[in-house]
Amino acid sequence: MDNSDLDLIADLKNEKTRDFAFNSLVKKYQERLYWHIRKIVLNHDDADDILQNTFIKVWRSVDKFREESSLYTWLYRIATNESLTFINSNKRRSLIPMNDTSEFLMNNLESDVYFDGDEIQLRLQEAILKLPEKQRIVFNLKYFEEMKYEDMSKVLDTSVGALKASFHHATKKIEEYLKNRD
Amino acid sequence: MKLNLWQMKKSNDKITKLMNELEKIAPELSKIKKENPFRVPDNYFDDFSARLQMRLDAEKTGISKNQNKIIQFLKPALGLAAGFALIVMLAYWPLKTFTPNQLANNIGTETDISEMLYATMVEGIDVNSFYALLEEPNGSVQFSDDDLAIFVNTNSSEYEIYSETNN
Repeated sequence: MDNSDLDLIADLKNEKTRDFAFNSLVKKYQERLYWHIRKIVLNHDDADDILQNTFIKVWRSVDKFREESSLYTWLYRIATNESLTFINSNKRRSLIPMNDTSEFLMNNLESDVYFDGDEIQLRLQEAILKLPEKQRIVFNLKYFEEMKYEDMSKVLDTSVGALKASFHHATKKIEEYLKNRD
Repeated sequence: MKLNLWQMKKSNDKITKLMNELEKIAPELSKIKKENPFRVPDNYFDDFSARLQMRLDAEKTGISKNQNKIIQFLKPALGLAAGFALIVMLAYWPLKTFTPNQLANNIGTETDISEMLYATMVEGIDVNSFYALLEEPNGSVQFSDDDLAIFVNTNSSEYEIYSETNN
C-alpha cells in the first residue's frame, strides 16, 4: 500500500479529519471506480448511482476496514459487489431469465447516448457481454485496467490461478466471436 | 526519479508481455485498438463530489428525521399510557383502601357490638331465669362456657365463687 493511502486511511479513521480525508479519497478514486462500474453495467446513469452507493458504503464502513488488503482493492471490491447487486436486482425486477442478461445489457449499450465507439468497438463490447458475469469482470480488469492478478484476487476473492485461467478462456471466447462476426 | 522510471519500465514490460500473449491466443482481439468507447456528460467528475456530499448530508438528515419521527410517534402513545396509569391509580387506590378490608373492619366492628350486647344480655339475666333456661328440655338457648363464666362473674362475688368451688 502506498504511503498516501496509508495516510488517507489514518485520516479517515480519525473523526476530526474524516470529512476532509473522504473528500480526498473521492477525488483520487472516483474516475477509476466509475470506469470499472461502467464497464459492468454499461449505462452512465446506472454507473453514476452505483458509484455514489459505493462511496456511501465506504463512508459507512470505514471503521470496519481491515488493513490486510490495500485501500485500492477494498474500494474495487465494494464497487464490484455493488455493480453485481444492481444487475441481480434488475434481473429480479424485470423478470429477465438468468441467461438473457447479455441481451438486456446489449440493449442498454445500444441505447446509451454516452457510447462513442465505432463499429469495431461495438463488436468488441458485444463479445465481452457474451461472457459470464465474473469472467467479464476479470477480462475488463485485466485487459482495460491492467490490474495485477494478485490485486484482482483480493477484489474478486478468487485464486490467482483461477483468474489466469478465466482470462485465458475469456480471450478465446472473444476471439471466436470476433472471427465469426467477420 | 530512478525508482519511478524503473517502475514504469516494469509496468511497460508487463503490458508488452500481455500483448504478446494476446497476439498468440487472440490475434483478432490484439488488432483492435485498446480504447475506451464510453464517455461521460461534461463536468461529470468535477461535480460528482458535490453531488455525493449532498446525498450524504441528506442521509444524515434522514437519520435524525427518522429519530424525530419515532419520538413524535411515541409521544401520543406515551401520553395514553401515562393517562391510563393515572386512571388506574385513581380507581385502584381507593378501591384497595376502602374495600374489602374496610368492609371486613366494619363487619368486625358490628360483630364486636353484637358480642357486647349479647354479653350484656347474659349478664342481665337473673339467677332463676338462668337456671330455668339451663334446665329447659331441648332448649333452643345454648350457653357456651364463656357465657357461663360471664354470668357467674357478673352475678357472684369472688368470695361466693371461692366458697362454691372449694366445697
